[in-house]
Amino acid sequence: MSATMLRPPRNQADPRVIPWWTVQWLLLMAPLAVAAVAAYWIFTERPLWLGAAVAAFAVACVVLALVAPRAYYRVERWEVTGEAVYTRKGWLTHTWRVAPMSRIQRVDTARGPVQRLFGLADVTVTTASSAGAVKIEGLDHEVAAELAERLTAITQATPGDAT
Amino acid sequence: MSEPDAGNLPAHHRDRQGPALDAQSGWRRLAGRSLWVSGAKSLALVAGAVAGLTRFLLGQDWRAGGIIAACAGAAVLIVAAVLAYDLARLRTTRWRLTPERLELRSGLTTRQHRSIPRDRVRSVDLRADPILRIFGLTVVKVGTGEHAGDHTELTLDPLARNDAETLRRTLLHQDEEREARDGPLAELRWSWIRYAPLSVWTFTASALVLGALYKPLNAIGLKSVTSRAASDLWGWIVEQPLTAVPLLLAVNLTVGALGATLLFAESWGRYRLEHEPGRLRLRRGLLTTRSLTLEVRRLRGVEISEPLLLRLGGGARVKTVATGLGEKAKNETEDAAALAPPLPRDLAWRLAAEVASAGVPGSRVLSGGTALIPHPRAARRRRVVRASLATALLAAAAGVASSLAPWPWVRAWVWLIPVVVPAAGMWGAVEGARNLGHALGARHLVSRKGAVVRQTVALDRKGISGWTITESYFQRRSGLLTVSATTSAGRGHYEVVDVGHETGLELASRAVPGLLEPFLVRGKTVAKQ
Repeated sequence: MSATMLRPPRNQADPRVIPWWTVQWLLLMAPLAVAAVAAYWIFTERPLWLGAAVAAFAVACVVLALVAPRAYYRVERWEVTGEAVYTRKGWLTHTWRVAPMSRIQRVDTARGPVQRLFGLADVTVTTASSAGAVKIEGLDHEVAAELAERLTAITQATPGDAT
Repeated sequence: MSEPDAGNLPAHHRDRQGPALDAQSGWRRLAGRSLWVSGAKSLALVAGAVAGLTRFLLGQDWRAGGIIAACAGAAVLIVAAVLAYDLARLRTTRWRLTPERLELRSGLTTRQHRSIPRDRVRSVDLRADPILRIFGLTVVKVGTGEHAGDHTELTLDPLARNDAETLRRTLLHQDEEREARDGPLAELRWSWIRYAPLSVWTFTASALVLGALYKPLNAIGLKSVTSRAASDLWGWIVEQPLTAVPLLLAVNLTVGALGATLLFAESWGRYRLEHEPGRLRLRRGLLTTRSLTLEVRRLRGVEISEPLLLRLGGGARVKTVATGLGEKAKNETEDAAALAPPLPRDLAWRLAAEVASAGVPGSRVLSGGTALIPHPRAARRRRVVRASLATALLAAAAGVASSLAPWPWVRAWVWLIPVVVPAAGMWGAVEGARNLGHALGARHLVSRKGAVVRQTVALDRKGISGWTITESYFQRRSGLLTVSATTSAGRGHYEVVDVGHETGLELASRAVPGLLEPFLVRGKTVAKQ
């Protein structure tokens, strides 16, 4: 393979992110599976081959909802050094983002109501670029707050007008 | 009167050539000649009103004398109203330049007092339409250049031309001799007008003009005429398509080319780009003259854009990549980033090189067009595969459509799809791959892409505020990735598309030293040359 590679960032999201994402995926996928089964039951003559296909589809939906969060958990990683924020995400399409401390303009933490039940938070680091926002998802909320505080401190200590 | 100091002014002060100066406070008025301008412009309103009124009164069976009287009355009323409004506006507007600030008081009903510190002034733009120019006036916009569009601008509408020039020089700390000594970076040559018709405008302009004319013609009661003309035309097309269609296309092209040429002349006549200390000054416009300033500090690079037609004609356009540059303003024919009219390619490269190195003399990175490194063959393969798949899909869709569609003309023309689409698709794939390239200059990261519009961007390496590196599943299999430099200027991100995996990472790592380096691992077994 290639001699030069991007190494994976050091840290993973909090493991609690797996149930949180699973809940999200199930909220999306379960109605889909139920709708398919219901449609089969109500609107068709219930031929056996179609039943098998619908069952396979419903099972695939649920399996995907259970598997995808684990897969994403394995690929989504982040790291903060003294100089930069570094993240990796994506399953089929890998995306690495690097934002240097000197260009960071804003650090936000966000916690949705359900996310709070899991004790999680997201950290978004925004640079002057319209395209450069770096999002670290699914951190323990205390880790997130600490990280935001640390980033703000480093950003303020780094000279430069951030553009 | 809301402005006590203005009421005390002697009457002759108001009629003086320049803004009258109040000795005590330094508050000045706008140019009083503006009244003539608004009077002249109100005539356009008058014309519209008279046309509408005449049509209405004709419908009511009025006699000619009555109609003329009514129109004259309406005209007087409109002009008087416009003049009264403008007079009130002029009388309530005052501006002054103190050693620290530029201040503006305005507002008929809501009084506003706005002021900007002089050391924050970044741009002083002048704009004069033909009527303002007849009266020797110009509109001045003073900007702080912080962010585009958040109303940090202060507009003096209008000032006498001399006062405007003086104000510009004072605010931007310019001395006249300096300006005269340095030659311009670029100046219009009328031979460039040959590039004017090489734009999409040529094909669409006449349709647009027709569309724009249709509404007003209907409004003044010519609806029956226009609809009859349209139905006649349609009848002609249906009867003799072989004569009508080529003829109409030819007319369309001629009108479009003419329109594009006129537009070029109006937008770029008297074009002149100068390098002043710390900034660029762009002047252009045959009828409406504009003078724009761009601070070198805000410059993050240049872009050379070559749309297909212009490229075939050997021309190119130069644009800036700058922070806080506004979108294309209303009633402007060019976008704010445009630095030059379409011009010959080698001149475009030279101008881009000079602009890119503005502020840092001697570092001519781009000169002659740095040889770009082409991207791997896999990039072409990817494009060809993509184009073939799209073609196959379209051909299948066309086949289905032709067998299902009830109209016979679908079947008559559908064979074009499998002929034209693959040719266009393959051309796009090959051309797109051929145009891919990148280079790393002493100060700039240069990248090129695009089949239809080829864009070559030289981005200041210091202006790069991060990296986004993406690798799709198929890119990974072909050993490619896309490196995107994020920046606060221009589009916000500029990509090096489908570059070889290792080349791309090394490029990013070298373009901004130290940023990507800590996250790279280099294989020890493979010897690096």
